[in-house]
Amino acid sequence: MYLITKNDVKKIAKALEEKYTLYGPYLDADFGQCFFDKVTSDTVNLNAPIPANPPKHVVFPHLETIMQYKYDKNARKADIAMVFDDTPKALFGLRSCDLTGLQCIDRFFLGQEFVDEVYRHHRSRMFIVANTCVVPFKQCFCVCTDSGPAAQEGYDLNLTDLGDSYLLEVGSPKGKAFIESFTFAPATQEHLKQKQKIVEKSITMFDDIATESKAWVSRVMNRVTTGFIKEEIWEYIGNQCIECGACSYVCPTCTCFNINDANTMSGDTVRLRTWDSCSYEGYSRMAGGHNPRKPIEDRRNKRFFCKLSYSQSKKYLRPGCVGCGRCAWVCPGDIGLPNVVTYIRREIHE
Amino acid sequence: MSYMPGVCTFCGTGCGHYLKVSGTSVQGVFPSRVHPVSKGRLCVRGWNIHELLGTHERITRPYVRDSGEVTYRDAIATLVSALSSYKPEEIAFLASPRSSNEDNYALMKLARLVFKTNNISIQAESGHRNSLDVLYKGTGFAGMLGSLEDIRKAEVLIVAGMDITTQNPIIGSELHYAARSGSLLITIDSRMTKIAKLSKKFINIKPGTMRQVFDAIAYYMDTQQWGNTKSAHYEEYKKYLATVPFDAIEKETGVLQSEIAFVAERLAKAKSAAVFFTSGISGLSHDTVASIFNLFVLADKIGKEGCGVNPIAGINNLQGSFDMGCAPDLLTGFQSIDDAVVRKKFEKKWKDQLPASKGKTVEELLSNNSSPLKALVIVDHDDGIVRFSERLKSLPFVAYIGSFTNKVAVYAHVVLPVTTYIETDGTFTNAERRVQLSSQKCNPAFDVLPMWKLIDAIAEAMGKPFNYEHASDVMDEIASLTPAYEGISHKLLSKKHGVQWPCTKDNPGGTKYCVPHNVAFVLPQKPYAAVQVTQEYPYLLMVGKAQHYWHQNNIMHKTFIPLREYNATLLLYPDGYVAIAPEDAKKIGVRDRWPVKVVAQKAEMKAMVMISDDVAPGTAYVPYFIREGIASFLLAYSDIVSQGEEATIPVRIEKV
Repeated sequence: MYLITKNDVKKIAKALEEKYTLYGPYLDADFGQCFFDKVTSDTVNLNAPIPANPPKHVVFPHLETIMQYKYDKNARKADIAMVFDDTPKALFGLRSCDLTGLQCIDRFFLGQEFVDEVYRHHRSRMFIVANTCVVPFKQCFCVCTDSGPAAQEGYDLNLTDLGDSYLLEVGSPKGKAFIESFTFAPATQEHLKQKQKIVEKSITMFDDIATESKAWVSRVMNRVTTGFIKEEIWEYIGNQCIECGACSYVCPTCTCFNINDANTMSGDTVRLRTWDSCSYEGYSRMAGGHNPRKPIEDRRNKRFFCKLSYSQSKKYLRPGCVGCGRCAWVCPGDIGLPNVVTYIRREIHE
Repeated sequence: MSYMPGVCTFCGTGCGHYLKVSGTSVQGVFPSRVHPVSKGRLCVRGWNIHELLGTHERITRPYVRDSGEVTYRDAIATLVSALSSYKPEEIAFLASPRSSNEDNYALMKLARLVFKTNNISIQAESGHRNSLDVLYKGTGFAGMLGSLEDIRKAEVLIVAGMDITTQNPIIGSELHYAARSGSLLITIDSRMTKIAKLSKKFINIKPGTMRQVFDAIAYYMDTQQWGNTKSAHYEEYKKYLATVPFDAIEKETGVLQSEIAFVAERLAKAKSAAVFFTSGISGLSHDTVASIFNLFVLADKIGKEGCGVNPIAGINNLQGSFDMGCAPDLLTGFQSIDDAVVRKKFEKKWKDQLPASKGKTVEELLSNNSSPLKALVIVDHDDGIVRFSERLKSLPFVAYIGSFTNKVAVYAHVVLPVTTYIETDGTFTNAERRVQLSSQKCNPAFDVLPMWKLIDAIAEAMGKPFNYEHASDVMDEIASLTPAYEGISHKLLSKKHGVQWPCTKDNPGGTKYCVPHNVAFVLPQKPYAAVQVTQEYPYLLMVGKAQHYWHQNNIMHKTFIPLREYNATLLLYPDGYVAIAPEDAKKIGVRDRWPVKVVAQKAEMKAMVMISDDVAPGTAYVPYFIREGIASFLLAYSDIVSQGEEATIPVRIEKV
């Protein structure tokens, strides 16, 4: 635990940049939209609002080549090669919701019977610097999903803005080793208390600032798990879905993907992995043409079973929602997760 | 820092997006949260546009039949020598509603100035042109009168026969948001579409009676004296309204008089109201658009904030294509080629004479086997044109210009590749007249030219170079010749989410909603032609679009997720489908996915049954997409299908 200056934060970014490809929040120069993507130690902006996109695409790209093969007709031989990306990557200034999301994806790709090698390579040489949210944003509800405003685990370093300085916490041996080359002043328990106060204050600010979304998730999880939700509610929700897939694409914990082979002009064939969404009709269609989830409401409720049922939460070891509010941003209907929770709660109270 | 702002180029909504570009490849897409129209939303197509842009099915080298791959120089020489050997009336140009304004303008100039022909058109001629004609006659503006940005400001919103959440999903989303925040959303349609489900009022009409219903609403409004009687031609319009069979309206259209009265009252008394109807390859007829427009003139909902008569273009630059004069009788900005003063202005700027008599559309030339057409230049076109494959095969010369491989290209004697829209600068005009700049995001992945440059090279080979250094030079020329675009330049548009024309030098911010100097009722041209069923043909067949795959299969085929969604329906119904109501299925004795024969007077086709609550009993719905059987069936009825969304054909459905 160290107390560092704002300039030291930049020094850390600079040092990371030398060994890693640096990813972090930055503001788009034309319109000011915040993205989480490749940055330099000069362009990374820790004061930027929550990025429009979660960091999911760093480890699980929108479109990615995962295999290549070439068939030699004469020799009757196929050259097959897995394609891995194991460049070291540093995620700098990750907010706690997104860090929690990353952990959920880890549990899906790495924590089950089969380990996804493509994902493992992305993730293997990663350094994570988290950033505590000292103020929430309009659409945040991480306090309802136990994923913020400060990161509890999963980081190598954690930064908290104490006003005139930063509290730097070390969360892993990798983080400890990295910090050894610096001579930072140690922080005291007082500083830790100061951080806790800031976090508590941030939580109280949700009432006034985070007004766009509220989602009392726990009560609804019970309902979703036991299945006591009226058909009409799912229909009401399903009717508002235009099947764009956006909720899955912006969700920090959604992991569904589709595989396609494409012939390239050089004669190779590449196997591509693309994001997929349970809202699409083709997603749940079987080879024979039967679709167990043909009506839109049956597809739509699947998403909320995945995020909010106990059985699914066992897989993530937590609810599948991290309270970032992005699905509410991008939904052409009005059925981002916070609203769905509201509709279900409204029914409970009626 | 690889997310670069741009414009989605699927449909006419013109949503803002960011493309994740690395080198020359596009690896992802993300919506723009501050875009005034899309506000952070994209549809299934927009969310997967990088799959199309990253396709391996590009045309990478110029190609000449018999010689194979050649240089641009040789390909252009072949093209020029072929086209020079024909008379102007034997040459035609098929422009693409997907090309940028700069590309379309350059092509239009090439056709008229260099090859002296006015035979230039896009294929989606009828639908949007009908809308523009009516609006131009009535207000002097050939474009949407309202604004998509203003949807939430309207008290009453009417969707007329359009599956808007499928065709332009983000506009559908805006309507849904407006309805949720208190606007009265009314859908008038023959099918229970998603927007109908989301509406506060759904008025289910008999197929093909849209015009009667709108006239009846106007009739009621007028008899109650709620209407505006001050606009020009009111007296003639009143006479026309007197012929509306209001007493028989329920029998004719299936709509109760009380429902007509409800809409009339709410519309007349609202402060603001807007109407939305489809205007793409299938659109409404001139007279139906006129009925809709006249109702809004009568209700005094023209030229005010939150108001508008809004045709929704299905393709990204459909509006822009007309703005650029890609029509046999138009120069840029809806200026008529018949107008000697206008022609003189262009002749002075272009320093040569223009052909004065108006040309023919490519559709007219192809469908008439005795037309003089001998040489055709096709730009980036959809499969729709394949309907004319026999004629294309017999043409002495066909050239194809495009970025992607395409079924039409196989008929070409010369193929000229061009860049995709992200590899050059260009502007696109969306359904609400918003001209947006899409800046170059990467170098061309292959050694290919942007289209405006290619056209310039062709002109140069003909000895009449246009001398464009940059796409912005083309826009500057457009601005100098087009009053509505007068103030537009790439400089003005950069770092902006577009400007809505008319945009003059004095009004660089553009025009959100059009305020006409004079508003006139537009009188219909033909009497009602409601198609009636007979005992022999008891079902009214509607022809329309279905989720994800309008007419642009060719584009969808180069993606993965949208293609799969397209196939989701196509795999279930491999021969296409005809949707009927459950009670009709019982009557005919078929279950879902059973094959049936759809028999009409002039043609028949096989299709599978889709049982759906979305269609009313006594009607059937067949999606407009290209599948042999359906295409040939529709070709026999091309006169009816050209009426677009209103097209109805009496049919009999037989179990096989």
